[in-house]
Amino acid sequence: MNIVKSRFLYKYTPVFLLFTSILNEIDFNLQFKYFSFNFAYILIFYYSLKKEGGIGYILIFLAGLFNDVVNGLPMGISSLSYLLLCAAAAYLRNITLRPNLIRDWIFFLITILVLNFTTYTYLILFFNYEINYFDQMTNIIGTFLLYFIFSYIFAFYDDYILGKTN
Amino acid sequence: MKPSRDDFVIAIRSAFLKKGNQQKFSLLSLILFSIIFLILGNYNFKIIKFNKAVIKEIIYYSSFIVNIPENSIKNSFIKVSDHYDHYDEYLIIKNKFQKLKSKDLEKKIITFENDELKKLMDDYYIEDGQTFAKVLIDKESPFLRSIIINKGSRNGVKAGMAVYDDIYLVGKVVEVNFVSSRVLLISDINSKVPITIQPLNVQGIMSGLDQRSGVLQYINKEELIKDESQKLIIVTSGIGGIFKSGIPIGEINLQDNLSDKKFVVNFYRNFSQLKYVKISSHIKENINIDQSNKKIFNKNNSQIAQINNQEQDIKVLKQQKIINEEVQLKLQSENTRLKKNLINTQKKLIESNKKINTNKVNSDDLEFLKLNLSHGHKCRKTLFRSQLFKVGTPEYRKCVLNKGPIINVKKN
Repeated sequence: MNIVKSRFLYKYTPVFLLFTSILNEIDFNLQFKYFSFNFAYILIFYYSLKKEGGIGYILIFLAGLFNDVVNGLPMGISSLSYLLLCAAAAYLRNITLRPNLIRDWIFFLITILVLNFTTYTYLILFFNYEINYFDQMTNIIGTFLLYFIFSYIFAFYDDYILGKTN
Repeated sequence: MKPSRDDFVIAIRSAFLKKGNQQKFSLLSLILFSIIFLILGNYNFKIIKFNKAVIKEIIYYSSFIVNIPENSIKNSFIKVSDHYDHYDEYLIIKNKFQKLKSKDLEKKIITFENDELKKLMDDYYIEDGQTFAKVLIDKESPFLRSIIINKGSRNGVKAGMAVYDDIYLVGKVVEVNFVSSRVLLISDINSKVPITIQPLNVQGIMSGLDQRSGVLQYINKEELIKDESQKLIIVTSGIGGIFKSGIPIGEINLQDNLSDKKFVVNFYRNFSQLKYVKISSHIKENINIDQSNKKIFNKNNSQIAQINNQEQDIKVLKQQKIINEEVQLKLQSENTRLKKNLINTQKKLIESNKKINTNKVNSDDLEFLKLNLSHGHKCRKTLFRSQLFKVGTPEYRKCVLNKGPIINVKKN
């Protein structure tokens, strides 16, 4: 019974966290002027990298749609970003024999830079959005820095709280 | 060992095309689906619009439901902290209330005067429709600062309507669904509000900067820094017709802004604390001005025009009077000068006459002397001619001038 329960939690905790972070007002774009981060990016990248099919692609796609609607962005843009992030994580997983956190971390930085670049380009060119680059930069840096910490927290949660179910 | 090109292709293919254990779609198909979503979003087809609206409604309300526990925790925390600070706040509010009470009457008078002046200027807006709405979602996004409210097209909300918190401007409605709408806050970078800086009366545009502040654009900075100690108030200018003029937004403290020369507006309201907002649209009141009022306006205008004309005439007459006075003065001085000349001339004339007379006497004497030499003997009294005249008498003179004695011939 315990194994079933922990498997259920192991499977659905990331999904729950993802949707909560997207739908909830605790959105990690904190009230600080020089600090914010994108929790969804960290969560999706980590679980796509560590567990194949950790969060289902359809759920990620839906989460992207939800994020777009809640944030008032063109529908589909966050889905695209999240799915490309999954693709990058899947590629890294496929080419990795011995996992290394530092390498994952650097790869994550490159991925979010590319993703944000495509997102901003799309928003500016097709939707005439005006973007505060300073805010975006702090967001990217915050996301990059906190990946390291969150990867430890997620690993700790998976290994010690749920137990090594995999 | 270096990874070969085949390994790279295999890894990419695996990443994009491989389905997981319970995955129904591959990553590539979902990416394509996202791109289709994005492309279709650019077109305003009725079906797409309808589907988008339905999806948005579902997500807004599900987000609201998800937020309930968090909001209740947040509200409880706020309530507790409110109770804790209750007495201190009471004292501050009491103090403020006393000050505001005195200002209230003054404000009412100014508002009344302002309305009257606006009516005269044909710039008076009245509230067309007013709706109160609850804030469903207040999500801080790095891309867009906006809130979702629980009123939509069903409640008469239209895109472009102004949104207020009390009397302060919060933003405008940018997206309307059936029972919900999105409000773009004025703190968003994409929000451009035409403003007036009071009391300098400088026009400009305000864009959002962060949660509590905006930044001024397209302003004459030199005019702003004339008086650095001044606290400037930012209100809407009404240009563009989206917002009516005079809605308070915030204020600028010039001393804080002089160092970086970026004029930051501190909003009166904290947009992260919004619970209920007022949505309203405005129309110009001139639609409601009836014919009798128009007649009165026209009559007043004609009277004003008449008075203006009369003033012009008076001005002309005054100028004429001044000219006349100047002419009169000149004439008087001329007259005085001429009189003097006349007197002088008369004097000269008299003197000349005197001289002429003297000369005449002299010439008569000369003539007499001349004739005396030649004809004196004919008139001089001698022993033999006693009937003649004694020398020096007038008769002698007469006789000389006559060139001899006058002989009386008696006619028979």
